[in-house]
Amino acid sequence: MAAQTTNPSKGGEPGAFAAFLASIGGGFLSAAQTTGGMTILLARILSRVLRIKVDGRELWKNLYKMAVKSLPIVVVTALFTGAIMVIQAATIVKRYGAEGLLGWGAGFGTLREIAPLLTALMISGRVGANNTAELGTMVVTEQLDALRVLAIDPISFLIAPRFIAIVSTLFMMTLFADALALLGAAYTGQALLGVSPTTFYNGLTAGLLGFGDVANGLLKSVVFGLVMALASCYFGLSTSGGAPGVGRAVNATVVTSAAGVFVLDYLVSFALGG
Amino acid sequence: MISIQSVSKAFRPAGGGPPNQVLEGVSLDVPASCLYGLIGPGASGKSVLLKMIVGLLKPDAGSILVDGADVTQASELDLQKMRLKFGMLFQNNALFDHMTVGDNIAFPLRRLTDLPEDQIKSRVMERLAHVALTGFEGRLPAGLSGGQKKRVGVARATITKAPIVLYDEPAAGLDPVTSQKIFELLREEQRASGATVIMVSSDLDRLLTVTDRVGMMYRGRLIFDGTTHEAKTSTEPRVRQFVHGLTEGPL
Repeated sequence: MAAQTTNPSKGGEPGAFAAFLASIGGGFLSAAQTTGGMTILLARILSRVLRIKVDGRELWKNLYKMAVKSLPIVVVTALFTGAIMVIQAATIVKRYGAEGLLGWGAGFGTLREIAPLLTALMISGRVGANNTAELGTMVVTEQLDALRVLAIDPISFLIAPRFIAIVSTLFMMTLFADALALLGAAYTGQALLGVSPTTFYNGLTAGLLGFGDVANGLLKSVVFGLVMALASCYFGLSTSGGAPGVGRAVNATVVTSAAGVFVLDYLVSFALGG
Repeated sequence: MISIQSVSKAFRPAGGGPPNQVLEGVSLDVPASCLYGLIGPGASGKSVLLKMIVGLLKPDAGSILVDGADVTQASELDLQKMRLKFGMLFQNNALFDHMTVGDNIAFPLRRLTDLPEDQIKSRVMERLAHVALTGFEGRLPAGLSGGQKKRVGVARATITKAPIVLYDEPAAGLDPVTSQKIFELLREEQRASGATVIMVSSDLDRLLTVTDRVGMMYRGRLIFDGTTHEAKTSTEPRVRQFVHGLTEGPL
Protein backbone atom coordinates (compact mmCIF):
# COMPACT_ATOMS: atom_id res chain seq x y z
CA MET A 1 0.00 0.00 0.00
CA ALA A 2 2.82 2.39 0.90
CA ALA A 3 4.44 1.84 -2.48
CA GLN A 4 1.11 2.55 -4.19
CA THR A 5 0.64 5.92 -2.50
CA THR A 6 4.13 7.14 -3.36
CA ASN A 7 4.22 5.96 -6.95
CA PRO A 8 1.67 7.63 -9.22
CA SER A 9 2.56 5.31 -12.10
CA LYS A 10 0.99 2.46 -10.20
CA GLY A 11 -2.33 4.29 -9.88
CA GLY A 12 -1.95 5.67 -6.37
CA GLU A 13 -2.26 9.27 -5.11
CA PRO A 14 -0.07 11.74 -7.01
CA GLY A 15 3.08 12.58 -5.10
CA ALA A 16 3.95 15.91 -3.53
CA PHE A 17 6.21 16.78 -6.47
CA ALA A 18 3.38 16.24 -8.95
CA ALA A 19 1.09 18.39 -6.81
CA PHE A 20 3.79 21.07 -6.68
CA LEU A 21 4.13 21.01 -10.48
CA ALA A 22 0.36 21.10 -10.85
CA SER A 23 0.13 24.16 -8.62
CA ILE A 24 2.85 25.94 -10.63
CA GLY A 25 1.11 25.02 -13.87
CA GLY A 26 -2.21 26.17 -12.47
CA GLY A 27 -0.65 29.46 -11.44
CA PHE A 28 0.74 30.05 -14.93
CA LEU A 29 -2.59 29.15 -16.53
CA SER A 30 -4.41 31.50 -14.20
CA ALA A 31 -1.94 34.32 -14.93
CA ALA A 32 -2.28 33.67 -18.68
CA GLN A 33 -6.07 33.69 -18.38
CA THR A 34 -6.01 37.00 -16.47
CA THR A 35 -3.58 38.61 -18.92
CA GLY A 36 -5.58 37.37 -21.91
CA GLY A 37 -8.85 38.52 -20.33
CA MET A 38 -7.44 41.98 -19.61
CA THR A 39 -6.11 42.28 -23.16
CA ILE A 40 -9.50 41.37 -24.64
CA LEU A 41 -11.20 43.83 -22.29
CA LEU A 42 -8.72 46.56 -23.28
CA ALA A 43 -9.43 45.91 -26.96
CA ARG A 44 -13.19 46.10 -26.34
CA ILE A 45 -12.83 49.34 -24.37
CA LEU A 46 -10.57 50.92 -26.99
CA SER A 47 -12.99 49.97 -29.78
CA ARG A 48 -15.73 51.95 -27.98
CA VAL A 49 -13.43 54.86 -27.10
CA LEU A 50 -12.18 55.19 -30.68
CA ARG A 51 -15.75 55.13 -32.04
CA ILE A 52 -16.74 57.65 -29.32
CA LYS A 53 -19.32 55.21 -27.99
CA VAL A 54 -18.84 56.22 -24.38
CA ASP A 55 -21.66 57.42 -22.16
CA GLY A 56 -20.85 61.06 -21.40
CA ARG A 57 -23.11 61.32 -18.36
CA GLU A 58 -21.51 58.28 -16.74
CA LEU A 59 -18.05 59.66 -17.55
CA TRP A 60 -18.72 62.97 -15.77
CA LYS A 61 -20.35 61.18 -12.85
CA ASN A 62 -17.33 58.91 -12.45
CA LEU A 63 -14.85 61.76 -12.84
CA TYR A 64 -16.59 63.56 -10.00
CA LYS A 65 -16.78 60.45 -7.84
CA MET A 66 -13.22 59.33 -8.51
CA ALA A 67 -11.28 62.58 -8.94
CA VAL A 68 -13.06 65.27 -6.93
CA LYS A 69 -13.82 62.96 -4.01
CA SER A 70 -10.19 61.78 -3.93
CA LEU A 71 -8.85 65.29 -3.41
CA PRO A 72 -8.73 65.20 0.42
CA ILE A 73 -6.69 62.00 0.56
CA VAL A 74 -4.36 63.24 -2.19
CA VAL A 75 -3.86 66.58 -0.41
CA VAL A 76 -2.87 64.86 2.85
CA THR A 77 -0.63 62.30 1.14
CA ALA A 78 1.12 64.85 -1.08
CA LEU A 79 1.77 67.47 1.61
CA PHE A 80 3.27 64.91 3.99
CA THR A 81 5.25 63.24 1.20
CA GLY A 82 6.97 66.54 0.44
CA ALA A 83 7.61 67.08 4.14
CA ILE A 84 9.09 63.59 4.52
CA MET A 85 11.42 64.16 1.56
CA VAL A 86 12.82 67.24 3.34
CA ILE A 87 13.18 65.43 6.68
CA GLN A 88 15.15 62.68 4.96
CA ALA A 89 17.42 65.23 3.26
CA ALA A 90 17.81 67.45 6.34
CA THR A 91 20.93 65.78 7.80
CA ILE A 92 22.91 65.96 4.56
CA VAL A 93 21.74 69.49 3.76
CA LYS A 94 22.81 70.71 7.22
CA ARG A 95 26.13 68.86 7.17
CA TYR A 96 27.21 70.26 3.80
CA GLY A 97 25.36 73.57 3.98
CA ALA A 98 23.63 72.69 0.73
CA GLU A 99 20.45 74.65 1.38
CA GLY A 100 20.40 75.83 -2.22
CA LEU A 101 20.03 72.25 -3.44
CA LEU A 102 17.08 71.41 -1.20
CA GLY A 103 14.58 72.35 -3.91
CA TRP A 104 16.29 70.17 -6.45
CA GLY A 105 16.69 67.23 -4.04
CA ALA A 106 13.06 67.24 -2.99
CA GLY A 107 11.77 67.97 -6.48
CA PHE A 108 13.79 65.30 -8.26
CA GLY A 109 12.56 62.40 -6.19
CA THR A 110 9.04 63.75 -5.83
CA LEU A 111 8.30 64.58 -9.44
CA ARG A 112 9.92 61.51 -11.02
CA GLU A 113 9.01 58.83 -8.52
CA ILE A 114 7.34 59.44 -5.20
CA ALA A 115 4.34 61.55 -6.24
CA PRO A 116 3.16 59.27 -9.07
CA LEU A 117 3.85 56.10 -7.07
CA LEU A 118 2.16 57.12 -3.83
CA THR A 119 -0.75 58.76 -5.64
CA ALA A 120 -1.25 55.56 -7.62
CA LEU A 121 -1.28 53.45 -4.46
CA MET A 122 -3.73 55.80 -2.75
CA ILE A 123 -6.03 55.94 -5.78
CA SER A 124 -5.79 52.17 -6.16
CA GLY A 125 -7.03 51.70 -2.60
CA ARG A 126 -9.80 54.25 -2.87
CA VAL A 127 -10.94 54.18 -6.48
CA GLY A 128 -9.77 50.84 -7.91
CA ALA A 129 -11.11 48.77 -5.03
CA ASN A 130 -14.39 50.67 -5.01
CA ASN A 131 -14.78 50.28 -8.77
CA THR A 132 -14.31 46.51 -8.53
CA ALA A 133 -16.76 46.27 -5.64
CA GLU A 134 -19.39 48.24 -7.58
CA LEU A 135 -18.98 46.26 -10.79
CA GLY A 136 -18.80 42.96 -8.90
CA THR A 137 -22.01 43.74 -7.04
CA MET A 138 -23.69 44.65 -10.31
CA VAL A 139 -22.60 41.31 -11.79
CA VAL A 140 -23.80 39.14 -8.90
CA THR A 141 -27.13 41.00 -8.64
CA GLU A 142 -27.73 40.58 -12.40
CA GLN A 143 -27.64 44.35 -13.04
CA LEU A 144 -25.20 43.79 -15.91
CA ASP A 145 -27.53 41.19 -17.41
CA ALA A 146 -30.37 43.69 -17.03
CA LEU A 147 -28.35 46.24 -19.03
CA ARG A 148 -27.78 43.67 -21.78
CA VAL A 149 -31.48 42.77 -21.90
CA LEU A 150 -32.25 46.48 -22.23
CA ALA A 151 -30.06 46.38 -25.39
CA ILE A 152 -27.41 48.54 -23.73
CA ASP A 153 -23.76 47.70 -24.23
CA PRO A 154 -22.21 47.47 -20.72
CA ILE A 155 -18.76 48.33 -22.10
CA SER A 156 -19.95 51.63 -23.59
CA PHE A 157 -22.24 52.48 -20.72
CA LEU A 158 -20.33 51.27 -17.67
CA ILE A 159 -16.79 50.16 -18.37
CA ALA A 160 -15.34 52.66 -20.86
CA PRO A 161 -16.42 55.71 -18.77
CA ARG A 162 -14.86 54.19 -15.66
CA PHE A 163 -11.68 53.29 -17.55
CA ILE A 164 -11.26 56.84 -18.88
CA ALA A 165 -12.17 58.32 -15.49
CA ILE A 166 -9.56 56.23 -13.61
CA VAL A 167 -6.74 57.03 -16.08
CA SER A 168 -7.67 60.74 -16.10
CA THR A 169 -8.04 60.82 -12.31
CA LEU A 170 -4.57 59.42 -11.77
CA PHE A 171 -3.04 61.85 -14.25
CA MET A 172 -4.75 64.87 -12.70
CA MET A 173 -4.12 63.76 -9.14
CA THR A 174 -0.44 63.19 -9.88
CA LEU A 175 -0.13 66.70 -11.31
CA PHE A 176 -1.90 68.04 -8.24
CA ALA A 177 0.23 65.90 -5.91
CA ASP A 178 3.43 67.18 -7.59
CA ALA A 179 2.49 70.76 -6.78
CA LEU A 180 1.30 70.02 -3.25
CA ALA A 181 4.30 67.85 -2.38
CA LEU A 182 6.65 70.67 -3.42
CA LEU A 183 4.60 73.09 -1.37
CA GLY A 184 4.84 70.77 1.64
CA ALA A 185 8.57 70.37 1.07
CA ALA A 186 9.13 74.12 0.79
CA TYR A 187 7.34 74.93 4.02
CA THR A 188 8.94 72.03 5.90
CA GLY A 189 12.34 73.21 4.64
CA GLN A 190 11.64 76.62 6.10
CA ALA A 191 10.32 75.24 9.40
CA LEU A 192 13.04 72.62 9.97
CA LEU A 193 16.09 74.00 8.18
CA GLY A 194 15.36 77.70 7.86
CA VAL A 195 15.53 77.46 4.06
CA SER A 196 13.34 80.20 2.67
CA PRO A 197 10.70 79.30 0.08
CA THR A 198 12.54 81.59 -2.37
CA THR A 199 15.77 79.60 -1.95
CA PHE A 200 13.79 76.39 -2.31
CA TYR A 201 12.14 77.70 -5.49
CA ASN A 202 15.50 78.81 -6.90
CA GLY A 203 16.86 75.29 -6.26
CA LEU A 204 13.93 73.86 -8.16
CA THR A 205 14.30 76.15 -11.15
CA ALA A 206 18.08 76.52 -11.31
CA GLY A 207 18.27 74.24 -14.33
CA LEU A 208 18.93 70.90 -12.69
CA LEU A 209 15.25 69.97 -13.05
CA GLY A 210 13.32 70.36 -16.26
CA PHE A 211 10.03 69.60 -17.93
CA GLY A 212 11.36 66.11 -18.67
CA ASP A 213 11.28 65.28 -14.96
CA VAL A 214 7.66 66.34 -14.67
CA ALA A 215 6.77 64.48 -17.88
CA ASN A 216 8.53 61.35 -16.62
CA GLY A 217 6.29 61.24 -13.55
CA LEU A 218 3.16 62.06 -15.54
CA LEU A 219 3.90 59.34 -18.08
CA LYS A 220 4.20 56.90 -15.20
CA SER A 221 0.86 58.08 -13.84
CA VAL A 222 -0.82 57.27 -17.17
CA VAL A 223 0.76 53.80 -17.25
CA PHE A 224 -0.25 53.17 -13.62
CA GLY A 225 -3.76 54.41 -14.42
CA LEU A 226 -4.06 52.01 -17.33
CA VAL A 227 -3.08 48.96 -15.27
CA MET A 228 -5.28 50.01 -12.36
CA ALA A 229 -8.32 50.73 -14.54
CA LEU A 230 -7.93 47.45 -16.42
CA ALA A 231 -7.42 45.37 -13.28
CA SER A 232 -10.35 46.92 -11.42
CA CYS A 233 -12.75 46.57 -14.36
CA TYR A 234 -11.57 43.07 -15.28
CA PHE A 235 -11.85 41.62 -11.78
CA GLY A 236 -15.16 43.39 -11.24
CA LEU A 237 -16.62 41.89 -14.41
CA SER A 238 -15.20 38.43 -13.60
CA THR A 239 -16.86 38.30 -10.18
CA SER A 240 -18.78 35.16 -9.34
CA GLY A 241 -20.00 33.51 -6.18
CA GLY A 242 -22.12 36.21 -4.53
CA ALA A 243 -20.89 38.54 -1.78
CA PRO A 244 -17.75 36.47 -0.97
CA GLY A 245 -16.90 36.63 -4.68
CA VAL A 246 -17.02 40.44 -4.55
CA GLY A 247 -14.53 40.37 -1.65
CA ARG A 248 -12.20 38.08 -3.60
CA ALA A 249 -12.43 40.31 -6.67
CA VAL A 250 -11.56 43.43 -4.64
CA ASN A 251 -8.61 41.61 -3.11
CA ALA A 252 -7.38 40.52 -6.55
CA THR A 253 -7.66 44.10 -7.83
CA VAL A 254 -5.66 45.60 -4.97
CA VAL A 255 -2.91 42.98 -5.21
CA THR A 256 -2.69 43.05 -9.03
CA SER A 257 -2.77 46.85 -9.19
CA ALA A 258 -0.05 47.26 -6.56
CA ALA A 259 2.19 44.60 -8.12
CA GLY A 260 1.52 45.99 -11.61
CA VAL A 261 2.36 49.53 -10.52
CA PHE A 262 5.73 48.50 -9.09
CA VAL A 263 6.69 46.27 -12.03
CA LEU A 264 5.68 48.94 -14.57
CA ASP A 265 7.43 51.62 -12.53
CA TYR A 266 10.64 49.64 -12.86
CA LEU A 267 10.12 49.07 -16.60
CA VAL A 268 9.24 52.69 -17.37
CA SER A 269 12.11 53.99 -15.21
CA PHE A 270 14.47 51.62 -16.99
CA ALA A 271 13.18 52.59 -20.43
CA LEU A 272 13.41 56.31 -19.68
CA GLY A 273 16.75 56.03 -17.95
CA GLY A 274 15.46 56.97 -14.52
CA MET B 1 -43.47 33.30 -31.75
CA ILE B 2 -40.70 31.66 -29.76
CA SER B 3 -39.53 28.23 -30.87
CA ILE B 4 -37.09 26.33 -28.67
CA GLN B 5 -35.60 23.30 -30.41
CA SER B 6 -33.66 20.51 -28.65
CA VAL B 7 -31.81 22.86 -26.31
CA SER B 8 -29.23 21.40 -23.92
CA LYS B 9 -26.89 23.07 -21.49
CA ALA B 10 -24.38 21.85 -18.90
CA PHE B 11 -22.37 23.97 -16.47
CA ARG B 12 -18.89 22.91 -15.43
CA PRO B 13 -18.23 23.48 -11.72
CA ALA B 14 -15.43 26.01 -11.09
CA GLY B 15 -13.49 23.62 -8.89
CA GLY B 16 -13.67 20.72 -11.37
CA GLY B 17 -15.87 17.66 -11.18
CA PRO B 18 -18.58 16.33 -13.47
CA PRO B 19 -20.66 18.85 -15.46
CA ASN B 20 -24.06 19.76 -14.13
CA GLN B 21 -26.63 19.09 -16.87
CA VAL B 22 -29.25 21.82 -16.38
CA LEU B 23 -31.15 21.45 -19.67
CA GLU B 24 -31.48 18.35 -21.79
CA GLY B 25 -33.19 18.32 -25.18
CA VAL B 26 -35.83 20.92 -24.35
CA SER B 27 -38.21 21.67 -27.23
CA LEU B 28 -41.07 24.10 -26.84
CA ASP B 29 -43.16 26.46 -28.96
CA VAL B 30 -44.67 29.55 -27.39
CA PRO B 31 -47.30 31.01 -29.75
CA ALA B 32 -47.46 34.75 -30.32
CA SER B 33 -49.64 36.69 -27.84
CA CYS B 34 -49.71 33.73 -25.47
CA LEU B 35 -49.22 34.02 -21.72
CA TYR B 36 -47.12 30.94 -21.06
CA GLY B 37 -46.43 29.73 -17.52
CA LEU B 38 -43.23 27.79 -16.92
CA ILE B 39 -43.37 25.76 -13.74
CA GLY B 40 -41.30 23.11 -12.02
CA PRO B 41 -39.35 22.37 -8.85
CA GLY B 42 -36.28 24.46 -7.95
CA ALA B 43 -33.13 23.96 -10.06
CA SER B 44 -35.07 22.41 -12.92
CA GLY B 45 -33.65 24.87 -15.50
CA LYS B 46 -36.49 27.40 -15.83
CA SER B 47 -34.43 30.56 -15.23
CA VAL B 48 -31.60 29.23 -17.42
CA LEU B 49 -34.09 28.72 -20.25
CA LEU B 50 -35.37 32.30 -19.86
CA LYS B 51 -31.80 33.65 -20.01
CA MET B 52 -31.17 31.62 -23.15
CA ILE B 53 -34.27 33.01 -24.87
CA VAL B 54 -32.91 36.52 -24.41
CA GLY B 55 -29.38 35.50 -25.39
CA LEU B 56 -27.69 35.94 -22.00
CA LEU B 57 -26.60 32.30 -22.05
CA LYS B 58 -25.73 30.14 -25.06
CA PRO B 59 -26.91 26.54 -25.19
CA ASP B 60 -24.43 23.73 -25.82
CA ALA B 61 -26.79 22.33 -28.44
CA GLY B 62 -30.10 23.26 -30.06
CA SER B 63 -31.55 26.51 -31.32
CA ILE B 64 -33.95 29.19 -30.13
CA LEU B 65 -35.90 31.07 -32.78
CA VAL B 66 -37.54 34.37 -31.91
CA ASP B 67 -39.78 35.51 -34.76
CA GLY B 68 -37.68 33.30 -37.03
CA ALA B 69 -34.25 34.65 -35.99
CA ASP B 70 -31.91 32.26 -34.20
CA VAL B 71 -30.82 33.82 -30.91
CA THR B 72 -28.13 31.18 -30.37
CA GLN B 73 -26.26 32.09 -33.58
CA ALA B 74 -26.58 35.87 -33.28
CA SER B 75 -23.53 38.10 -32.80
CA GLU B 76 -23.46 40.47 -29.80
CA LEU B 77 -24.45 43.35 -32.10
CA ASP B 78 -27.38 41.39 -33.58
CA LEU B 79 -28.42 40.36 -30.08
CA GLN B 80 -28.55 44.01 -29.02
CA LYS B 81 -30.99 44.69 -31.86
CA MET B 82 -33.03 41.57 -31.08
CA ARG B 83 -33.26 42.51 -27.41
CA LEU B 84 -35.22 45.62 -28.31
CA LYS B 85 -38.14 43.19 -28.63
CA PHE B 86 -37.76 42.03 -25.02
CA GLY B 87 -38.70 43.19 -21.59
CA MET B 88 -37.52 41.12 -18.64
CA LEU B 89 -38.04 40.93 -14.92
CA PHE B 90 -35.16 39.14 -13.18
CA GLN B 91 -35.55 36.81 -10.24
CA ASN B 92 -33.64 39.27 -8.00
CA ASN B 93 -35.19 42.28 -9.77
CA ALA B 94 -31.75 43.58 -10.92
CA LEU B 95 -32.66 47.19 -10.18
CA PHE B 96 -29.78 49.64 -10.65
CA ASP B 97 -28.91 50.52 -7.04
CA HIS B 98 -27.37 53.90 -7.87
CA MET B 99 -30.55 55.12 -9.61
CA THR B 100 -33.80 56.23 -8.04
CA VAL B 101 -36.98 54.26 -8.66
CA GLY B 102 -38.06 56.84 -11.25
CA ASP B 103 -34.71 56.71 -13.05
CA ASN B 104 -34.75 52.89 -13.04
CA ILE B 105 -38.13 52.83 -14.75
CA ALA B 106 -37.28 55.68 -17.12
CA PHE B 107 -33.88 54.21 -18.02
CA PRO B 108 -34.98 52.08 -21.04
CA LEU B 109 -36.93 54.99 -22.52
CA ARG B 110 -34.09 57.47 -21.99
CA ARG B 111 -31.56 55.12 -23.57
CA LEU B 112 -33.59 53.57 -26.35
CA THR B 113 -36.03 56.24 -27.50
CA ASP B 114 -36.03 59.91 -28.47
CA LEU B 115 -39.06 60.69 -26.33
CA PRO B 116 -38.98 64.13 -24.68
CA GLU B 117 -38.35 64.14 -20.94
CA ASP B 118 -41.88 65.30 -20.04
CA GLN B 119 -43.38 62.33 -21.90
CA ILE B 120 -40.92 59.96 -20.24
CA LYS B 121 -41.88 61.33 -16.83
CA SER B 122 -45.58 60.95 -17.53
CA ARG B 123 -45.01 57.32 -18.68
CA VAL B 124 -43.04 56.65 -15.48
CA MET B 125 -45.84 58.10 -13.34
CA GLU B 126 -48.41 56.00 -15.19
CA ARG B 127 -46.29 52.84 -14.62
CA LEU B 128 -45.81 53.68 -10.95
CA ALA B 129 -49.54 54.17 -10.52
CA HIS B 130 -50.13 50.79 -12.20
CA VAL B 131 -47.94 48.99 -9.67
CA ALA B 132 -49.33 51.05 -6.76
CA LEU B 133 -46.09 52.90 -6.07
CA THR B 134 -47.11 56.49 -6.73
CA GLY B 135 -44.84 58.83 -4.79
CA PHE B 136 -41.92 56.40 -4.73
CA GLU B 137 -40.12 57.82 -7.78
CA GLY B 138 -37.47 59.65 -5.73
CA ARG B 139 -36.53 56.70 -3.53
CA LEU B 140 -33.49 54.47 -4.00
CA PRO B 141 -34.01 50.69 -4.37
CA ALA B 142 -32.15 50.10 -1.08
CA GLY B 143 -35.01 51.81 0.75
CA LEU B 144 -37.72 49.54 -0.66
CA SER B 145 -39.19 46.30 0.62
CA GLY B 146 -38.82 43.09 -1.42
CA GLY B 147 -42.34 43.41 -2.81
CA GLN B 148 -41.86 47.05 -3.75
CA LYS B 149 -38.62 46.23 -5.57
CA LYS B 150 -40.44 43.50 -7.46
CA ARG B 151 -43.14 45.96 -8.54
CA VAL B 152 -40.51 48.48 -9.70
CA GLY B 153 -38.95 45.64 -11.72
CA VAL B 154 -42.32 44.92 -13.31
CA ALA B 155 -42.77 48.61 -14.16
CA ARG B 156 -39.32 48.73 -15.79
CA ALA B 157 -39.90 45.50 -17.72
CA THR B 158 -43.14 46.79 -19.21
CA ILE B 159 -42.42 50.46 -19.85
CA THR B 160 -41.16 50.00 -23.42
CA LYS B 161 -44.26 47.93 -24.29
CA ALA B 162 -41.96 45.26 -25.72
CA PRO B 163 -43.67 42.53 -27.80
CA ILE B 164 -42.05 39.77 -25.72
CA VAL B 165 -41.86 39.95 -21.93
CA LEU B 166 -40.16 37.41 -19.67
CA TYR B 167 -40.94 37.35 -15.95
CA ASP B 168 -38.77 35.32 -13.60
CA GLU B 169 -40.73 34.83 -10.38
CA PRO B 170 -42.79 38.05 -10.53
CA ALA B 171 -44.47 37.33 -7.20
CA ALA B 172 -41.61 35.89 -5.17
CA GLY B 173 -41.61 37.33 -1.66
CA LEU B 174 -44.95 39.09 -2.05
CA ASP B 175 -47.91 38.71 0.26
CA PRO B 176 -50.91 36.85 -1.25
CA VAL B 177 -52.94 39.98 -1.91
CA THR B 178 -50.12 41.88 -3.64
CA SER B 179 -49.18 38.70 -5.46
CA GLN B 180 -52.71 38.31 -6.84
CA LYS B 181 -52.74 41.98 -7.83
CA ILE B 182 -49.42 41.58 -9.67
CA PHE B 183 -50.63 38.54 -11.60
CA GLU B 184 -53.86 40.29 -12.55
CA LEU B 185 -51.91 43.37 -13.57
CA LEU B 186 -49.57 41.34 -15.75
CA ARG B 187 -52.48 39.52 -17.33
CA GLU B 188 -54.27 42.81 -17.99
CA GLU B 189 -51.11 44.27 -19.53
CA GLN B 190 -50.61 41.23 -21.71
CA ARG B 191 -54.19 41.36 -22.99
CA ALA B 192 -53.92 45.08 -23.70
CA SER B 193 -50.58 44.87 -25.50
CA GLY B 194 -50.95 41.45 -27.11
CA ALA B 195 -47.37 40.66 -26.03
CA THR B 196 -45.98 37.16 -25.87
CA VAL B 197 -45.26 36.49 -22.21
CA ILE B 198 -43.33 33.72 -20.52
CA MET B 199 -43.71 33.68 -16.77
CA VAL B 200 -41.74 31.51 -14.38
CA SER B 201 -43.43 31.22 -11.01
CA SER B 202 -43.71 28.89 -8.05
CA ASP B 203 -46.99 30.50 -7.01
CA LEU B 204 -49.13 28.02 -8.96
CA ASP B 205 -52.44 28.95 -7.31
CA ARG B 206 -52.22 32.39 -8.84
CA LEU B 207 -50.15 31.65 -11.93
CA LEU B 208 -52.63 29.11 -13.26
CA THR B 209 -55.45 31.63 -13.03
CA VAL B 210 -53.81 33.85 -15.66
CA THR B 211 -51.92 31.57 -18.07
CA ASP B 212 -53.05 30.36 -21.49
CA ARG B 213 -50.58 27.50 -21.64
CA VAL B 214 -48.26 25.82 -19.16
CA GLY B 215 -44.98 23.91 -19.43
CA MET B 216 -43.43 21.92 -16.62
CA MET B 217 -39.69 21.41 -16.29
CA TYR B 218 -38.18 18.63 -14.23
CA ARG B 219 -34.47 17.89 -13.96
CA GLY B 220 -33.65 19.86 -17.10
CA ARG B 221 -36.37 18.29 -19.26
CA LEU B 222 -39.74 19.60 -20.35
CA ILE B 223 -42.12 16.92 -19.11
CA PHE B 224 -45.39 18.69 -19.89
CA ASP B 225 -46.63 21.27 -22.40
CA GLY B 226 -50.33 22.01 -22.75
CA THR B 227 -53.19 24.33 -21.91
CA THR B 228 -53.74 25.46 -18.34
CA HIS B 229 -56.83 23.25 -18.14
CA GLU B 230 -54.80 20.24 -19.35
CA ALA B 231 -52.18 20.97 -16.70
CA LYS B 232 -54.80 21.08 -13.95
CA THR B 233 -56.35 17.81 -15.08
CA SER B 234 -53.16 16.02 -16.09
CA THR B 235 -52.77 12.44 -14.90
CA GLU B 236 -48.98 12.49 -15.41
CA PRO B 237 -47.89 11.71 -11.82
CA ARG B 238 -45.18 14.41 -11.54
CA VAL B 239 -47.37 17.13 -13.09
CA ARG B 240 -50.34 16.10 -10.94
CA GLN B 241 -48.26 16.12 -7.75
CA PHE B 242 -46.65 19.50 -8.52
CA VAL B 243 -49.77 21.28 -9.73
CA HIS B 244 -51.86 20.11 -6.79
CA GLY B 245 -49.07 20.45 -4.24
CA LEU B 246 -49.32 16.84 -3.07
CA THR B 247 -46.74 15.51 -0.64
CA GLU B 248 -47.09 11.94 -1.90
CA GLY B 249 -45.73 11.20 -5.35
CA PRO B 250 -42.63 10.78 -7.51
CA LEU B 251 -41.16 14.29 -6.93
